[in-house]
Amino acid sequence: MPSVNVVNGKQIVVGNLGPAERAVDFLVKPFARMWNHRDLIQAILRREVSERYTGSVVGWVWAVIAPLLAITVYTFAFTTNLKLPVGDSTAGPRVDYALFIFSGIIVLNFFSEMAFRAPMLLHEYTHFIKQTIFPSDMLAVISTLRATLNTLISIAVMLVFQFTMRHSLPLTALLLPLIFIPFMAFLIGFSWFMCAIGAFTRDAGYLMINIVPLFMFATPVFYAQDTLPAPLNFWIYANALTGYVDVMRDIVLLAKLPDWRVYAWTLFTSVFTFYFGYWFFDRYRNVIVDVL
Amino acid sequence: MSLSTSSDIVIQTRHLGKAYQLYAHRSDWLKQVMLGWWKSYFKPFWVLRDIDLQVMRGESIGILGRNGCGKSTLLQVICGMTLPSHGELRVTGRIAPVLALGSTFDVELSGRENVMIGGAVLGLKRSEVLRKFASIAEFAGIGDYMEQPVKHYSMGMRTRLAFSICAHVEAEILVVDEALAVGDAAFQRKCLDWIDDFRKTGTLLFVSHSMAEVRRLCTRAIWIEEGRIREQGDPSEVIRSYHRALLVEKDDVHRFSASG
Repeated sequence: MPSVNVVNGKQIVVGNLGPAERAVDFLVKPFARMWNHRDLIQAILRREVSERYTGSVVGWVWAVIAPLLAITVYTFAFTTNLKLPVGDSTAGPRVDYALFIFSGIIVLNFFSEMAFRAPMLLHEYTHFIKQTIFPSDMLAVISTLRATLNTLISIAVMLVFQFTMRHSLPLTALLLPLIFIPFMAFLIGFSWFMCAIGAFTRDAGYLMINIVPLFMFATPVFYAQDTLPAPLNFWIYANALTGYVDVMRDIVLLAKLPDWRVYAWTLFTSVFTFYFGYWFFDRYRNVIVDVL
Repeated sequence: MSLSTSSDIVIQTRHLGKAYQLYAHRSDWLKQVMLGWWKSYFKPFWVLRDIDLQVMRGESIGILGRNGCGKSTLLQVICGMTLPSHGELRVTGRIAPVLALGSTFDVELSGRENVMIGGAVLGLKRSEVLRKFASIAEFAGIGDYMEQPVKHYSMGMRTRLAFSICAHVEAEILVVDEALAVGDAAFQRKCLDWIDDFRKTGTLLFVSHSMAEVRRLCTRAIWIEEGRIREQGDPSEVIRSYHRALLVEKDDVHRFSASG
């Protein structure tokens, strides 16, 4: 039975729980809420996806054309004169380097789409949040899912391109969900944090507009992180995106299993960001309603 | 599973208060977020104070009061949109808020798409919305406009559609906030008839400036003034003293100045 129970400004959801039960409750809560609100998530996601291409004639084709165009340009832009950070293969270094960049760009684009949108996310839906009983924490999930669709199209384009050029795909590419799902969790958590901050101040939006382009170079998109000089090739992993780019290249392009330490680090950043973001959002959600 | 001793109490508040945080400087919220545990950087602005209210199952409550007295905030707090700052609140049952009808519509989308989203927001499953769609369209009575973008709707048509969605949620508690003022007389009557029907099984909280509606629908009236309950009881009596007070007290310009 749905009910509200509030004492002195603190919502009482569960009664007397021990520390262990409380921890389990905290870990399960975001997933339970996503499951309970799955119909709402679906309804709003439908709207967001169709909204993106309203007024365009070919609609979804744009989502395929953009990455296709990008990968073509990369292939022709990087001529053989460049010293390339990947070895020779049957398809030639140009294609390899194009794929190398493109895989980095996919991760970065996914991140930047979320980073640009998150600070304004709650402002977009103010009318829902203020006028109805609305699970505002689901907005971060919905916006991540929408960005996921575009990213999946880009990944599909990349895999098709790779297959046509090399006539084979590595078996390790099947492991892609094992890095993609943690990355989604990372971005959902990041979104929770940023949209809570963004509700208070527009500065978060300006900060993102200035910072995200720098990530193009702070993340190993155009270079490989192991070509960096000694202390840097370790510290670049402090930028959490490095881990995701690295693992993705290993399994999709180089057909090898990632370094377990790198993978463990990406899992840690993912889980930590997810729960930290949720904790932060949950803590301030009631204040957010009043400041919007 | 209810914690309250009697299952017949659906809404119970004790010393309920709601304060908005007013900041002197735009940057003070940041200090509040970082150092709020140490000292507070805002001036509380109390919109509701000491509200003691018990609503039994099947009751219909009319809420009276002048603009800005806290009626809407009280409804928002009861619906759970914003948390009270003080006191206790216990609500049992599924609430359908009929507040600011039509303001949640996405004007670029068609009526049909807005019904799908609006239904989901109010907690209906997709299959339920699809099943009830014909009935929602019939109640709204906007005909072929259903497939048109909402931006082409008149205010009255938006209200019709929005009320129609709310009417199909199968809520146990209905919270209505001056919602019907825009509809035409025929639609208002249809809504009032529907609310009349709803009252047989559900609990109603009703804000209106139309005393006739309150007298017709409500079993109890509550008069709120400056965030406190000034009088409650039999609708006719409360309405009478409310009217008397309105005549005596002029519409004071300084009413909205922060008084403390």
